[in-house]
This record gives sequence, structure tokens and C-alpha cells, in this order.
Amino acid sequence: MGMIVTRELTKIYRSDGLEVRALDGLDLEIEKGEFLSIVGPSGSGKSTLLNMIGCLDKPTGGHVYVDDVDTSKLSEKELTRVRREKIGFVFQEFNLLPVLTALENVKLPLRYLGLGSRERDRLAHEAIEKVGLGQRWKSRPSQLSGGERQRVAIARALVTTPVLVLADEPTGELDTLNTCRVIELMRDLNKETRQTFAIVTHDPMVAGYTRRIVSLRDGKVVSDQPKEDADIVCEPDEESI
Amino acid sequence: MIKYVLSNMWRRKARTMLTVLGIVIGIFALTVLGGLSARLNQQVKGARSWFTSSISVVPSGSSLFGGADKYLELSKVDQVSAVNGVDCAVPGIGVLLKENAGFSFGAPDLVIGLDLKCGPELLKQLKLSGGRSLQTGDSGKVVLGATLAQKLNAKVGQQVMLRGVPFEVAGIFETTLSAPDNFAFVSYPDALALFRTANPFIQKNKDIVSVVYTTWKKQVNPETLSTDIAAKVSNVRVISPKDAEKQISQFSLIFNAILFGVALIALIVGGLSIINTMVMSVSERTREIGLKKAVGAETRTILLEYLTESATIGFIGGLIGMGFGVLTIVLINNATKGSQVTVFGLTPLVVIGPVVFGTVLGALAGIFPAFRAARLRPVDSLKED
Repeated sequence: MGMIVTRELTKIYRSDGLEVRALDGLDLEIEKGEFLSIVGPSGSGKSTLLNMIGCLDKPTGGHVYVDDVDTSKLSEKELTRVRREKIGFVFQEFNLLPVLTALENVKLPLRYLGLGSRERDRLAHEAIEKVGLGQRWKSRPSQLSGGERQRVAIARALVTTPVLVLADEPTGELDTLNTCRVIELMRDLNKETRQTFAIVTHDPMVAGYTRRIVSLRDGKVVSDQPKEDADIVCEPDEESI
Repeated sequence: MIKYVLSNMWRRKARTMLTVLGIVIGIFALTVLGGLSARLNQQVKGARSWFTSSISVVPSGSSLFGGADKYLELSKVDQVSAVNGVDCAVPGIGVLLKENAGFSFGAPDLVIGLDLKCGPELLKQLKLSGGRSLQTGDSGKVVLGATLAQKLNAKVGQQVMLRGVPFEVAGIFETTLSAPDNFAFVSYPDALALFRTANPFIQKNKDIVSVVYTTWKKQVNPETLSTDIAAKVSNVRVISPKDAEKQISQFSLIFNAILFGVALIALIVGGLSIINTMVMSVSERTREIGLKKAVGAETRTILLEYLTESATIGFIGGLIGMGFGVLTIVLINNATKGSQVTVFGLTPLVVIGPVVFGTVLGALAGIFPAFRAARLRPVDSLKED
């Protein structure tokens, strides 16, 4: 069985008597170390699927297995633990805490893991190094560019060395060059660490750089294709960031 | 953690400062009133030890502190003495030092005449700071309470004028921070003479007393003895140590009720403004809370974070309010030093109490908003704008 498995996954949203079937009996398996994208038109259930896999929300029906654990049966507190220990998140809007520096933002999940301050420092600096943020670690998010902010967010997602990194439209607010850079960074990290990356995107360029594209429509998988590795070349040259 | 909480508070400087100001005002009032209350309690405590060391027999209808228009005949003293268990019954008379004393803070300045047969026994519980206490046979001599001595600028051996009559200062008592500080103790005949001059038309020919101070023999229960005296002597009111205690307590009870009222207002106003501020902060930071939960923060972590923030607001407000309050107390006490009046007491409780109160208030006010924050579901809160 894969590292992530969904079986008959269903999510129904109800509001004002209206029923929206966001996921409709979806089956999906993701192996360890994959680098895949989830694509589809808006309302196809991409983000909902990511929320279910990421234990941010509970399904209406069916099952989600993370490392063979059926998370649809877990309590809120147990779900928090799964998120803390196994999953890293990257969001479209970065979601950095404005009062904290880049480094402090990266350290945040480590605090919830209960690590000591020296260990937190070391791991956070390592993660900042990995995403190529260099000396910008002292800056507050408001002093960083969009691309830099997303790097901080990626460092925060990686710092706990989760088995799975979930990214929801991670390049949605970035220009082409930064989009390329961020996706390149994630793919390099994936190759280096064998961490699994699942990226929800509507950007064909982003999807084009992944090694598997899962297409959703109306809460179901309509196509699921492995892809050849594509070389990533980010234009224009690096100086212009 | 504290640094993080402080920088979060600082994000809305104006709002946070206004909230803190609300707490400051409440805590300021609480501190100043606490100072008043502390001073009053000091006085009451001293008054208690003075008034509960004897049974006071006063005219019926009169009270422990007042009833200046009612007096007992001297014969009542003998009747009281005759009751079994009475050690000594001392005729006493009180005369206001100034004719129109009017309202004053705390006890009025009072000349108290005591029969010196066994009256000096009563004075033993007041410690002397100089000179000697009254003795049997003293005449034209006075022992002054500490405050009164300062007020009259009196020294042992010098003369002071009491209602126009010269007295020699035999001794001065140590300060008790209470009623006896404002008393001038003289012999019973001396006080009677002052009284006669002051009230030329009342009961000219009879010796009168305003109170019979009664002490009890060892192993006699003063409460039982009080009942006995009341049964055997007619037309008197017997105030036992317990009764005196009750009357004195009533004194401070009213003031403490006012203090409690102010605390309650501070509690409601300050509490509501903290709740309001925190609810707004929580809704502004909904996304951040969602993010924290997504990356593994537990419910209680969020709860603690917001409780700390609201408690910090309360603590800062409490600290500043207490600071202003204590400053006010010190300034007013210094200003009134010249007139020998101490308005405020400054005890550790007056300083620490309001700060603790502010902090606890902040924490309590934070409970509701903190729970709101902690209960947010990550998937919903991450969607918020």
C-alpha cells in the first residue's frame, strides 16, 4: 500500500440547504518520494483533497490512510499530531506570521514539536540555507519579496523533515520567474531528501515540471499520468531577482 | 513567548494602549481606595485594642463613639463597681478639644478624663514614647496621643492649652495609628471642669460621667460580666468587648463595601474592554491561528498564547495604574504631613494587590476570546481574509 491512500473519499459541504459534493468517492495512491501535481478546474475538489490528505479537515465518507493510519477515524488532537510530525504545508498566500522574522517563522513548527531552543536554531538555519535564503533570515515577511516569502514558507514546511509536503497553489501569487524558481527548489529538495511533494496547481508550467499529473473533475480523478522528468530552466538570469 | 506576545500586542498600538488605559484608570482608583482602606484598617485595629480592653458602660441610647448629649450620674460608677467580677470601674468623660470640631477624618481630637484611682491601668496598653503615664493624684497634667502631641507641638514638661486651660505634659504615647493618637488623657476632675466650662447650662450641680470604663477580674468572662452589669444597673447600655468589636467593624465594613464596589466597576469596565480587544485580535488573526494549527499547534497552545496576551494587558495596566496610585498616595501624604493627618496607608497589599487584580482580570477576560481562537478549525480559518 502507498504512503498516502484514499478510498472512496467523499466530502460534502452543506450550506443554506445546498449540498456541494466536493469529493465524490475519490481513490488515489501516492508512493513515498513522489513529486506530483494535482490539477483541475476550480471547484474540481483539488484543495479539498489536499485538506483531507493534510488532516486539516475530515471527510464525510471514505478513508484517508497516511503511513497506514486511517486518519478519518482520528480525533482532533491526534490529527494535530499527524500534521505536526508527518506533514509540511505550503500555501498560496505564504501565511507567514508578520511579527516574526523569517528565521522565527521557520522555527515555529519546531516549537510545537517540543524541541529545545538550540536544536530549533540549528534546524531552522539549515532549512533557511536549503531554500537559499542566505542572509535574509533576519528580515520580517514585509521586508521580503513574494519569492523570498514563499522560500521561507517552504523552509518552514521542510524544517520538521515531514514525509509529505503539501503545497496548495504555491506559485499562485508569484511571477513567472519566481514560479519557476520555487518549483525548481521543490523538485531539487524532493530529489535530495526523497520527501513526497503533492502540489495543487492550475498552472500548466508547474504541472509540467512534476513527474505525475493527477487531474480532477467534479470530485473524481479523471486522468492520472506519469511524466518524464523535464529540465527546469528559469529565465531570465538569476541576477534580476 | 513573552516577546512574541508583546510584539503581537504592539501590532495595534492605539487599540492596545486604549485598552491598557482603561485598566490603568480602574486600577488607579482601586489603589488609591486601597490606600484609604489600609489607613482606615490601621486606625480601626488600634481603636479595637483600646476599646476592647474594657467594658464601656454608657447612657442607654448612646453609642461607643458618640451621644455627647447624654450623661450618667456618678452614682452609677459605684453600682457598676458593686457587680461581682468587676475589677475596677473608672468614671470617664470625653470633651471635644475644639468647640466646633465638625467632621474630621478618623477620630476627633478628644480630651478624655479618667478617674485616676485605677484609671492608669487602662492606659497601660498604650506605650509611652516619652515622659510618664497619668498617676493617681495627678492634677493639671496631661498625657497626649502621638498625633495630638505633634499637632500641639508639645514636649514633655512643657505646657499646652486645652480649651483655654493650661496643662503640663506629663507624657506622650507612641503612635498607634488609631483613635488614641488624637486623645489627651487628663484626670477626671480636670476634664469635668473643662466640660462644665464648655456646657454651662447642663446639669450644673451634679458630677456626671459619659462612660464608665470597666475592667474585669482575671478568669471572669467579660461577655458574661457585661450581661450581669446590664441586669443590675438600670438605664445604661453596656458595651462588651465583643459589641465594641462589632461597632468598630461596621465602621470599616462600609468603607470596604465602597472599595469592593469600585473594584467591581473596574472589573466590569476593564474586563469588557479587554474582551473586546481580544475578540478583535482573534478575528484579525484567524488565518494565523489556522496556520499555527496546520503546522501542529495544539488547542491548548493557542489557548495559552491568547490568555498570556490578555493577562499581559491586565498586568501592564495594573502596573501603571498602581504606579500612578502609589504616586498619588505618596504625594497627598506628603502634602498633608504639615497638618498631622495621614490620609493613606501604604501596605504591601496596597502595592501588590492591584497588580495581581489587574493580571487576574486580564486572564479571566481572555478566557472567552482565547477559547474562540483555540476552537477554530484550521481548514476554515485558513480560508479567512
